[in-house]
Amino acid sequence: MSLPVLLALALGGSLLTYILSGINARLRDAIAVIASLTVAAAVASLYGRTVETTLGTGFLGFPLVLRIGPLSWLFAMAVSAIGCLSVIFSLSYMRGKGRTGFYYAMLLLVDAAMLGVVLSGDLLSLFIFWEVMSWSTFLLISTNGGPALAAGMKYFIMSITGSLAMLVGIVWIFATTGTMQFSGVAAGLSAAAPGTRLGVLVLFGIAFGVKSAVWPFHAWLPPAHSEAPSPFSAVLSGVLIKMGVYGFLLTMYVVIGMRGFLSLGWRALPVHTILAIIGAVTIIVATLIALAQNDAKRLLAWSTVAQAGYIFLGISFGTAVAVAGGILHFLSHAVFKALLFMAAGAVEYRTGGVRDLDSLGGLIKKMPVTFAAALIGVCGLIGVPLTNGFVSKWLIYKTLIVDGSPFLAFIALIGTWGTVLYGYKFLHNIFLGQLPEKYANLKPAPFSMRLPMVILALVVVLFGVLPGIPLAVVDAIGSSFGFATLGVIPGGIAGETGTINMVNIFAAIIVGVVLAWLIFRAGARGARVGQADSYAAGGPVPTDRYQYSVHFYAPLQRMLAPWLRDPVDAFYGGLGARVVKLSDGLRRIYTGLVADYVMYVMLFLGALILVQIVWRPW
Amino acid sequence: MDRNQLVKWLQAPAKMAHKYSLHAVYFCTGCGIIEVPPTITARWDAERFGVIPTATPRHANLFLITGYVSLKTLRAIIRTYEQMPEPKFSVGFGSCPINGGMYYDSYNTIKHLDRYMPIDGYIAGCMPRPEAIFVAVTHLWTLIDKDMADGYKRYRRYYAQYRANQERVLGRLEWPPLFPAGGDA
Amino acid sequence: MRILGFVISPLAALAVGIFFLGLTRRFMARTQWRYGPPLYQPLIDMLRFFTQKSVSHGAIFDLGVILSLAGSLVVVLFLPFGRICPLQGSGGLLVVLYLMLLAPLGLALSAGEAANPNSSIGISRMFALALGYEVPLLLIVLAAMTRYDTISIVEIVAAQRAAVPNLATFPLVLSGIAYLLILPALLGLRPFDVAQAPQEISSGPLAELGGRYLALAQIQNALSLFIGISLFVNLMWGGASNPLVFFLKMLVVFAFGLWISASFPRLRVEQAVRYLWRWPTLLAFVGLLLVVVIRR
Repeated sequence: MSLPVLLALALGGSLLTYILSGINARLRDAIAVIASLTVAAAVASLYGRTVETTLGTGFLGFPLVLRIGPLSWLFAMAVSAIGCLSVIFSLSYMRGKGRTGFYYAMLLLVDAAMLGVVLSGDLLSLFIFWEVMSWSTFLLISTNGGPALAAGMKYFIMSITGSLAMLVGIVWIFATTGTMQFSGVAAGLSAAAPGTRLGVLVLFGIAFGVKSAVWPFHAWLPPAHSEAPSPFSAVLSGVLIKMGVYGFLLTMYVVIGMRGFLSLGWRALPVHTILAIIGAVTIIVATLIALAQNDAKRLLAWSTVAQAGYIFLGISFGTAVAVAGGILHFLSHAVFKALLFMAAGAVEYRTGGVRDLDSLGGLIKKMPVTFAAALIGVCGLIGVPLTNGFVSKWLIYKTLIVDGSPFLAFIALIGTWGTVLYGYKFLHNIFLGQLPEKYANLKPAPFSMRLPMVILALVVVLFGVLPGIPLAVVDAIGSSFGFATLGVIPGGIAGETGTINMVNIFAAIIVGVVLAWLIFRAGARGARVGQADSYAAGGPVPTDRYQYSVHFYAPLQRMLAPWLRDPVDAFYGGLGARVVKLSDGLRRIYTGLVADYVMYVMLFLGALILVQIVWRPW
Repeated sequence: MDRNQLVKWLQAPAKMAHKYSLHAVYFCTGCGIIEVPPTITARWDAERFGVIPTATPRHANLFLITGYVSLKTLRAIIRTYEQMPEPKFSVGFGSCPINGGMYYDSYNTIKHLDRYMPIDGYIAGCMPRPEAIFVAVTHLWTLIDKDMADGYKRYRRYYAQYRANQERVLGRLEWPPLFPAGGDA
Repeated sequence: MRILGFVISPLAALAVGIFFLGLTRRFMARTQWRYGPPLYQPLIDMLRFFTQKSVSHGAIFDLGVILSLAGSLVVVLFLPFGRICPLQGSGGLLVVLYLMLLAPLGLALSAGEAANPNSSIGISRMFALALGYEVPLLLIVLAAMTRYDTISIVEIVAAQRAAVPNLATFPLVLSGIAYLLILPALLGLRPFDVAQAPQEISSGPLAELGGRYLALAQIQNALSLFIGISLFVNLMWGGASNPLVFFLKMLVVFAFGLWISASFPRLRVEQAVRYLWRWPTLLAFVGLLLVVVIRR
């Protein structure tokens, strides 16, 4: 399967879905699922191959190149797999909602565009697919209207700013090196001045920083991810953010090159250390703000910002283990964040749109599979051993500690404890605690929603116990950048950079659980009781609300409140307000009277004549 | 005290454990609760006997009904007693649980608590001193040794009658029957 | 031989932990001018809990306490006790820090399933306090790891035993003092036992745990006492070559923790977190800073 055929398949699937939506909804659903499955299978079949194809037709006189290598393959696999699973999830979620044809078409178009981004072999095709991805995402975020439209506009404006910066960067690169293909750009830039490399890094950094939501470009993410339809939130948080990560990896290690990137800046404070510090700031700010959220999806969105900080910290730190940890954390995060958004979406679907953490509770009794999947997702988010989040975080911490940045390691570790707090809040306020009476007859999530959640949960555990599977690919990527190999074994790594063997830890935990269970069995067994038989100081359990979920971390929130105001968002808001005021002032030129317009034209002609008389420029 | 009798420990460890680990639910019924803080603090140290108060009935195996029982309190007492895990022991403290005590002619108090929940023993007095509590604890140990402290077994066997008594005096009960079969051994 | 280590290590930890539980009650009693229960009282309590038939609220209620105890058991396998250390080369101190998450998380799952607001309040306080003491604790552990340039506890212990006390070890003394200042919070003793405040929230997370569930929670509590103190002795006091000396060192540290616990009343959550983020964090931060500067 060649790359242009693959892209054509993806794009064609989107078009076909849109055409079929007018004809038959069932057929459209089936075609959507089949198309995404085929694309995923096709990408999987390209494992291990390095192909570079030039598309026959150029664009504006430049050749368009598609290529796949280990880096592109990993991202393409993540995009197509998560895209396919979210299409399956959408089958039930979107039933009965309006504009489903448009939704499916856009979903598949976003997936196709992301595939194009990672498969592009030159800067121009990257830019083209990047733009397609941006506006199709905007259209899909603002589907629901109302606050979704405002969120979508915020995303779109920030994304366009980034794209313009990227365009300037591309033009600059072309002016310096004379080519736009990645294979030629790297050689050309390494011969250029360091100022060029820094400039390219900054410009591309703005573009990819907006997309991957590092501080201070994160302001668009929380509203956008919480207002989008849930299966698309899964794709957004899972893989769209990672397009920014892909861009960063491309910029840092392919376009500028590993040596060039690591040598930018001053001896005492290299640029990559500054970027790592920005990543750390993202982690802390986002984690603390996530603690205070009361909307399930907004909490998950802030959590995405924090985890994007982890990934950014890893890839900009610059050692082999750090980059491997960052890339592995991208993969882990894609899996468990998609899982968590799907769980929130399942709850939202069954309760009729409720996302408010203050009003849910006890849903484990009605949706046990959703709870189990969400539990595994939260454990992955926290980084409990035996989940994939643990291995990636372990790699990042190890390199931060051993390579001399304990303060960054401290911030990353505190981020983990903050994650424990908001992860438990998410689980507790939705699934644990008292089941409200109005949800007493809730049905469990439909099969087409449970299937992707169970698959993702299994992946979380599988990659946690046998991290060697994804680490093999990550190691290949690191080698392609020029880093030393890690020494990957099925259970982890065993090189001179460090040892971790998840299989040992897995065995130890299994033995521990069995031992604890045996001790448990030695005790006398009691009866199983419901939530009405709970200690309530001798009285009957109140049926309306015997649940502590409002202001779950009230003492901490009170302490941290002065630190949690988001100055960046306020800055953007202020900037937007000032632009609106300026535009409002400017529009008063249009008074509607033709006489005024004639006067403007006369004044302008007079000014031109004055300029010609005095300075004679023409 | 026979704490150190290894032979007894080996023969019946569960019984010995219950004897020397009597945790009382800190349920403050009536006036008698005023005698409990001196008992558990430094002057008359109850922790030597293994007796400490606990906050929730789930942790406890001793229930001291310390004083008169009004109708409102009876609801809470029965609920708390039912939430304690078995085996459990209950001791009536003061004259009021025995026969109504000082409030023998009140319209609002229970005169014979034994009809509504099983009592393993009483401590007479109004109020009994802390030393009396210690005598009661050691007497309870003897009862446990002889398998005579079987209030919880009586509750299970005659639950139907207990429940009928409770419903007669309290009206409708908000909780379902604890032993749905109506009484089993 | 290694299999023997796998068996001895958890048993020794359990024995030491239960002894410390008993020592707590006896010490508190003695400081309050009374006699207190015998030292083996926790064993009697646990036996009694095991024979009581308490209620279960669901599958996660059962699994939570099992997971919590399993987590503590596995952490014990990673910590050297004298010379006994069954799991040495599988990830070091980072794995220990992460496995220490399993214990409160398991308890939180059980308490959440209990559907009791007392439990939920207790869990929220427990996590808030954990965030409180984790800030200085992480700085301390990072100082130890950075000083000896390794993440393996066994290597840290060996390096400390081999090192001659000099000015370069001074920063670790600061970290050690900070650790002692947060020790009661780490162990869940007064003045930082607001998560279980019996008088306020009916024992918090343990409110609905009875019978064998309470027994498992008690065992996990005993193991967490062992883990907290053993971490200090290994990282800051050079471990020991045989278990007896190690136990004596643990006893000294625990006595200090008990002395603080017996002297101070309970702090509220925000008071506790404010304290933990003030002086202990400052000391630990300065310690880490000095270690990094000296390393240059």
